[in-house]
Amino acid sequence: MIEKVLDKAVKTREHLNELYIEISKEHLKKVCMYLYENKDALLRLIFASDEREIDGSFRVYYVFSIPGVDRFFIPLISLKGDDLSFPSITELIPSAHWYEREIQDMFGLVPEGHPDPRRLLLHEAFPAQSHPLRKDWGISDDDLKEWGEGLARKEKNEFMKVEGEGVYEIPVGPVHAGIIEPGHFRFSAIGETIFFLEPRLFYTHKGTEKHFEGMSFTEGVRLAERVSGTSSFSHSSAYCMAVERMAGIEIPEKAKAVRTLLLEMERLYNHIGDIGNMCAGTGLAVGYSRGAVIKERLMQLNDRITGSRYLRGINIVGGVTQDIFIYAEDILSILDLVTKEYKGLMKLLLGTVSHVERLENTGRLSKDIAMKMGVTGVAARASGSNDDIRKAHTHLLYDRLVFEAHSSARGDVFARMMVRAEEAECSISMIEALFESSYQGGLAEEVKEIPQHASALGYSESPRGSLFYWVMSDKNGRPLRVKLRSPSFCNWPAVPFAVHGNIVPDFPLCNKSFNLSYSGCDM
Amino acid sequence: MIKEIFKNLAAGKNVISKADLPALSAEEEKKLIDLQKGIDRIFGKSLRIRQVDAGSCNACEWECTALTNPVYDIQRFGIDFVASPRHADLILVTGPVSRQMELALKKTYLATPEPRIVVACGDCTIDGGVYKGSYAVTNGVANVIPVDYYIPGCPPSPGDLLSGFLKLLVTITK
Repeated sequence: MIEKVLDKAVKTREHLNELYIEISKEHLKKVCMYLYENKDALLRLIFASDEREIDGSFRVYYVFSIPGVDRFFIPLISLKGDDLSFPSITELIPSAHWYEREIQDMFGLVPEGHPDPRRLLLHEAFPAQSHPLRKDWGISDDDLKEWGEGLARKEKNEFMKVEGEGVYEIPVGPVHAGIIEPGHFRFSAIGETIFFLEPRLFYTHKGTEKHFEGMSFTEGVRLAERVSGTSSFSHSSAYCMAVERMAGIEIPEKAKAVRTLLLEMERLYNHIGDIGNMCAGTGLAVGYSRGAVIKERLMQLNDRITGSRYLRGINIVGGVTQDIFIYAEDILSILDLVTKEYKGLMKLLLGTVSHVERLENTGRLSKDIAMKMGVTGVAARASGSNDDIRKAHTHLLYDRLVFEAHSSARGDVFARMMVRAEEAECSISMIEALFESSYQGGLAEEVKEIPQHASALGYSESPRGSLFYWVMSDKNGRPLRVKLRSPSFCNWPAVPFAVHGNIVPDFPLCNKSFNLSYSGCDM
Repeated sequence: MIKEIFKNLAAGKNVISKADLPALSAEEEKKLIDLQKGIDRIFGKSLRIRQVDAGSCNACEWECTALTNPVYDIQRFGIDFVASPRHADLILVTGPVSRQMELALKKTYLATPEPRIVVACGDCTIDGGVYKGSYAVTNGVANVIPVDYYIPGCPPSPGDLLSGFLKLLVTITK
C-alpha cells in the first residue's frame, strides 16, 4: 500500500508491527508528505538517536500510523560526519514543530528551514552547545560555573512580541497561585481578551531520557512510573511493553488482564477528578468537592489493591507483580458506589446553568488545528478526531472488550468534559467486563538476555492521550536510547490556539479542560 | 434560582454528609485532632503553606490537593495553602529541584517572610530520589535552600503529610 515510499527505500526492516524504512535525506520531505497527505497518516512522534557506537551515525526516526492499519511506518534518515543537519518538515507538517526543536537542543542536529529555531527544552541554566543526549556529552567544571544562579545568560530567551495600540503583556509563573506544576505563560492581551499566549515550559526538565541510559532496562520501570504522577501506570505499561517487544517476550494472559484493568482504573480516577477540577475553574465549589470525594474513594481503592495510590510498583518488565483480580469484591462494590455518585455529579453539573454556560464555546479548538498540531487524547476526540490507541493499535486485551472511541465535534471546554464523562462510564463497563472471564498463565514471564542493538516501540492510551516509548539496546544489552513521548508534549502547543480570543479569567478553565502534565512534557 | 436553592436545601440534595465520605481510620482522626492543638498553640490557630513544585512528577501536588478535599478537609484546622509566598509561614517544596527551577525556588524562599519553615516533601526532595545523578537536577532541596524538615514517601499519602506536619510541630516546640 505504500509502494511509492518503498521505492525510495535504501533498506527496510520489519519488527512486529513496525516497518522501518531507511531513506536518504533528499527523499525525506516527499516520503513524509506522501504518507501525510495521500494516506492521511498521523505523525505519532519524531525522535533522534545517537547510534555512533554502531556505525558512526545519528539517526532521525519519523513514526507515522495510517488510520485503520495496525502498523507503524517509520521512515528514518542517517546523519554522518560533519553534515549534522536534516531537512525540517515543520512547514509541511506543523506537528513536527516541537520535535525538531527538541532534537536540535538534545542532539545538536540542525533542522534546516525550521521557522522557529529557538531553544525549547533547555533554558538559560544550560550553556550554549549543551546537547545532553549525545553520548560524548558530559558536565565539565566550566559548565557548572555557568549553571544555576550565577548563570551567564548566553542564550537569552526572547518571547514573541505582539505590538499595537492597547496590547499589553501579562507574565505569569513559573510559580503559580495554586498547588500546580511550574510553567511560564506570557499573555498578550487587548483589554480582557487574550490575543496571543506563549507558554514557556520545561522548568521541570529532569533529564529523564538521559537518566534512563544510566539504568538497566528492568530498573527503568521505576523511573517510567515517576515521569508523570497521575499517569504512572500508563507510563510504566508503555515502557514495559517497549522493552518486552524488544526482547521478544510475550507476557502471560493474566498479566495482560491486570494491565488492562489498571489502565482503565487510572483513566477512571483521572477523568472523574478532571471533571471535578473543571468546577474549580468556574467557581462551582460543590461540584469540585463532590468530584474530589469520588476521586479520593478511587485513590483509596488503588491503595488497598496495589499498595500505591498512584498504582506504582505493579508493572515489571515481563509482567506484573500482583494479581489484582483477587480483589474483585472490593473493586466491584466501590465501582457501584462510584457509578451512583458520579451520575449524581453529572446531573448536578449539567443542571447548573452557570457552570454549563461558562463551558460552552469557551476554549474552542477546531478540528483542523487539532489535526495539524497533532493533538491527541481527550482534546483531539473533543475536536472531532476518533483516534484512540486502544483501537488504532490494539494491544493487551483491548481486542476482546467492546468500546467506542467517544468523540464530539464541538471542540470547546464543554466537549472535553463530555468526552471525559463518556469515557469514564465506558471505563467502568470495561472493568466490569474484565471480571466476567478468567485468565490463564502466571503473573510474569522471565526476562531472558536482552538482544544487542534491538529496538521496539511501546504504547498505551493514557488518560491524557497516546503515549509512546521507543527503546534501543546497546552492545551489552543496556539502554542505548529511551525515547518517551507523553501526550502533553503534543497537546501543549495547541493550547495557545484554544485560548485565542477568550478572556484572561477563562484561561484557568481552558487549561484545566486540557489538564496537561508539565512533568510529562518537560521530561 | 432562589426557589431552586431552597428546594435543594429542603431535600438535602447536593449536600455531602459525613456518612457519605470515604472513612478515615481512627488513627488518622486522632492525628488530625493533635495537629489542631499544635497549630492553635504555635501558629495562633493558622498555618499558611505555600507549595512550590521544583520538578516534581505531580503526584506530591495531588496529595497536597487531596488534603483540601472534604475527606481530609485540612482547612478546618486552620491550615491552608496560600497563593503568595508573602502570606506563608511554611514553604512545602516538592521535586528533586530541577536546574531550571533552582532560581525560581530561591526567589520564592526569599519572598517568604521570616521566620520561615522549609519542609521538603517526597523522596526526591531528600537526595534526588529516582532522579539522583541526572544532569538536570540538583539532587535535593537542601542543596538549594536550607531545609528544616523532611516528609518522605513517593508520594507521601495525605495521612503521611498530616503525620509529618504533626511531628514538625513537636520539633518546633522543643
